[in-house]
Amino acid sequence: MRDPYSVLGVSQNASDDEVKKAYRELARKYHPDNYQNNPLADLAEEKMKEINEAYDTITKQRSGGYSGGSGGSYGGYQQSYASANPAYARVRNLINAGDLNQAEQVLYEVGQKDGEWYFLSGSIAYRKGWLDEAMQNYARAVQLEPNNMEYRQALNLMQRGSAGGYRPAGYSSAGCDPCTAYLCCSCLTPWGGPCC
Amino acid sequence: MFGYVRPFRPELKCKDFDLYKATYCGLCRCLRRRYGLIAPMFLNFDFTFLALLLWEPEEAFIPCRGRCHGNPLRKIPMCPDSPALELAADESVVLSWWKLRDSVRDDGFFGGLPARVLSAALGPAYRKAARRRPDFDRAARTCLEELAALERENCPSLDRTADAFARLLQGAAPREGERGRVLSQLLYHLGRWIYLADARDDLEEDKLSGRYNPVAARFGQSGDDPVLRLTMDNSLELMGSALQLGEFGCRKPILENIVYLGLPAVEKAVFDGSWNEIKKQKIWRNDT
Repeated sequence: MRDPYSVLGVSQNASDDEVKKAYRELARKYHPDNYQNNPLADLAEEKMKEINEAYDTITKQRSGGYSGGSGGSYGGYQQSYASANPAYARVRNLINAGDLNQAEQVLYEVGQKDGEWYFLSGSIAYRKGWLDEAMQNYARAVQLEPNNMEYRQALNLMQRGSAGGYRPAGYSSAGCDPCTAYLCCSCLTPWGGPCC
Repeated sequence: MFGYVRPFRPELKCKDFDLYKATYCGLCRCLRRRYGLIAPMFLNFDFTFLALLLWEPEEAFIPCRGRCHGNPLRKIPMCPDSPALELAADESVVLSWWKLRDSVRDDGFFGGLPARVLSAALGPAYRKAARRRPDFDRAARTCLEELAALERENCPSLDRTADAFARLLQGAAPREGERGRVLSQLLYHLGRWIYLADARDDLEEDKLSGRYNPVAARFGQSGDDPVLRLTMDNSLELMGSALQLGEFGCRKPILENIVYLGLPAVEKAVFDGSWNEIKKQKIWRNDT
């Protein structure tokens, strides 16, 4: 395993606050919310795991072998939605496994097109990078089933454009304060508070 | 189709500006050494971005001094040759060549005359580059053929046409491993973004000449700026998230500047029509 200090990008004699700050910045960067449905989500998850382990190791070392784990560490984040239709469940598995061609094929064999069909079709398009089609399909899914939070969330994520997502300090788009942009989802930060 | 990818100068640090300039000049020298006097004329900001992206992350920035191709009396700092720079140089030649062939095909006999002359001049360099990077050349050829076929049949899907061009650029980076995945995602969306920006930029021109335009085919003659912009922003967002997952060493700040500030600034200019003025400006001078 790599040196936990170099994982967090701080020196060995950094203060507890500095370590925490570095950890928070990295956690914000690799937060799964920034990588929802992203084909690179697994890489982000790995990085997240790495910094969690590093932070845990450091806090353990510093508190003299206390092995209770850190309260601030960010736990796993698995969202799973159940599909009533077994074909849809298969499509979801295929999408998660990254086999988009197969997923598309299974989806096209389903005859009737409901909200979930459009949602899954949008997810496949998003993974492929066909964002215009993804947006159209998500919009159709929301239109058919306006009460489904999953479809709504996917559509919202695309509609916020460049306003959301992680940006390193100093690169926030002009006129958009990252704090206000994050305020609405502050409960999603790993430490359950505002981002900065 | 070239020249959209540039840094946002007012927000560049001096050291990043030096790095950018040295990479630009280094790429120019690399083109001259490998392909003779004609190839450096096709150098542009996009290829510089490609070189920065492909550079090995662990390599520090140590410029050497060399003579400028434009003005041989001046000696200026430039990046020394490296495998990444050579890859970027070879791919630049291949891309320039196919771009010229594209213009020859699109612009008719008289309109395509300048492109015909230029492509004859670039021919020897292209053949050399195609020998060095046969896979990339083949990928570029197939993607452009697909693109031409889609344009002929007036494809109404924005994504399908953009996909053909995006895959072309995606082929510019080796795809193995974690780094390969990050790079290919980044380049895919860069290609998609460039294609859409170019389509939006040519909207008026294509309307007058009656040529195929993917934006017009998808949204109608007047286009639909908010929707198009949103989907371009989504591509930028995915580029940004890929950038954060990759290792780029000392070149990360300049890459971040380009992705987070440069491209959005260009996008804004393309949409409000000021791009035609801005694209002529050299970023070396502080007049933006």
